[in-house]
Amino acid sequence: MKILRPTLATLLSLLIVFPILYSVSASFFQYTDFTALPARLLPTTLNANNYVRSFAESSLARFLANSLFTSIVGTLLRMTISILAAYTFSFFSFKGRNTLFVIIVATMLLPPDALIIANFTTIRALRLTDTYLGIISTSLLAPTHIFMLRQYFRMMSVEYREAAVLEGCSDTRFLMTLLLPMSKAVVLTLAIHSFSTIFNDYLWPLLVTNKTSMRTVQVGLTMMGFSENLDYGPQFAAISLLMAPILIAFIALHKPIKESVSTRFTGR
Amino acid sequence: MRVKLLIKSKPYILIFPALLLVVLFSYVPFIITLINSLHAVSLSGKRLGFVGLANFRRLFESQSFHASLTNTIRFTLFFVPTNIIVTLFAAVLSNRKGWLANLNQIFFFLPMAVGMSSMLMILKMMFNPSIGIINHLIGLKIQWFNDPKAAMALLVIAGVFLDIGFDFLLFSAALRNVPKDLKEVALINGANDFQIFRHLELPLIGPTFIFVLVTNIKDAMLISAPVLILTEGGPFRSTQTLVYQMYLEGFKSGNYALGSAIAIVVFLLTFTALLALLRLERRRIYYQ
Repeated sequence: MKILRPTLATLLSLLIVFPILYSVSASFFQYTDFTALPARLLPTTLNANNYVRSFAESSLARFLANSLFTSIVGTLLRMTISILAAYTFSFFSFKGRNTLFVIIVATMLLPPDALIIANFTTIRALRLTDTYLGIISTSLLAPTHIFMLRQYFRMMSVEYREAAVLEGCSDTRFLMTLLLPMSKAVVLTLAIHSFSTIFNDYLWPLLVTNKTSMRTVQVGLTMMGFSENLDYGPQFAAISLLMAPILIAFIALHKPIKESVSTRFTGR
Repeated sequence: MRVKLLIKSKPYILIFPALLLVVLFSYVPFIITLINSLHAVSLSGKRLGFVGLANFRRLFESQSFHASLTNTIRFTLFFVPTNIIVTLFAAVLSNRKGWLANLNQIFFFLPMAVGMSSMLMILKMMFNPSIGIINHLIGLKIQWFNDPKAAMALLVIAGVFLDIGFDFLLFSAALRNVPKDLKEVALINGANDFQIFRHLELPLIGPTFIFVLVTNIKDAMLISAPVLILTEGGPFRSTQTLVYQMYLEGFKSGNYALGSAIAIVVFLLTFTALLALLRLERRRIYYQ
């Protein structure tokens, strides 16, 4: 009984992580390694040929640049908009405050995937297809972020800000030197969440981009042409390269990630 | 006077970007979708005239929509229990101390670090019937993309790999919060692992369970990317889902009216499912 649990857990966890490990291993496979019988789990030689090819024979570099640019700019804008709104809803009293807050937060109930046709017509009417702004447009607002930031900001009392303003402290200074440093943990978590959501988005960037040069990497990855020709090596190389930095970050940060989920969702 | 006006309008200026965005990308498209679903709409997106519920009637009479609706429900019914059982099993098994348990936990949440389309491309190549590793390893020649049953199974497997990372973190965080002394008392009184799980841990992680259940059902009803990348709805529409058909109608056939009608059906379905679950939660929630 003592050995059963660790054994089962290890077997199941190996099964779950198998696609990731196989992808990294297969990124070094030669063409013949894929067809060898019995099936190969490890490459015959370690050469970076597939990695070179995945860049040389596709627009991978351009896809990556597009994704990094839209994710970074998108995250910055999304965080700025969310922080400003959450700040205003927590520290100002004005007419219609609660109604406006509900109007924003209620959109959590409208699944964005079901709105894509109408959103696409809007973006087309604004002539924003095949532009960076078009790609990030629909992810600029995150009602969940505004909701969570407000919960957090409200832990500081309103009098605190009023006193600071009376002493001549501007809103900008209050935000930058007091509130944001105090809420560093939650702001950072939401920023990482924003970045990975925008970076990994698939359906929307697929719709608003037509030119190869404007494709984000998640969309471009599925259209590189390698897997269609059963030329899997370069495809696995591109995927491995893409996931490597995030995998390393996740392994290095596994303790804080586990804790942040624990406090965020179970309230402890 | 001008200064006073400026101070008064300041909060509105600060929330203006957020308000503009919800109106532009949530409320307006929702209303457009609703209006379009009741109109005939041209290829260029121009409304040609009010048709009442004709689009919905056409939808419910079409074979294609019947396939989408049943496939979406079938997928939800297969995926949600499979995902929850596998994830919960993983969380319970790895809820231990020590380096091996730690390694197990890292492996279980690692799929979360892989982007959706990357994971789907990996699976697409691994499940290729002729040169993919899966058929080679199990020694069978399963036609993952050409056999309706296998294609549906593949979507469920893909769904588990896409969701397990985050759901695992939620379940294992909830399990860690189950008080140790309660488990010890149960152990001393002769309870076995299964009894402890069934009568102690499961009731105590109730709120997390409901949260995972709700998000899984919502995700399952909205499934589209795995269908787009893995099966393209095939074979013979056996994996065509609602959002995938909406995408086909809206972007491949230019049939905005029908696409909008499907979107409305999707809204109603997810909304009803969420409301039903919220009621369930209110009735039998367990507080820690």
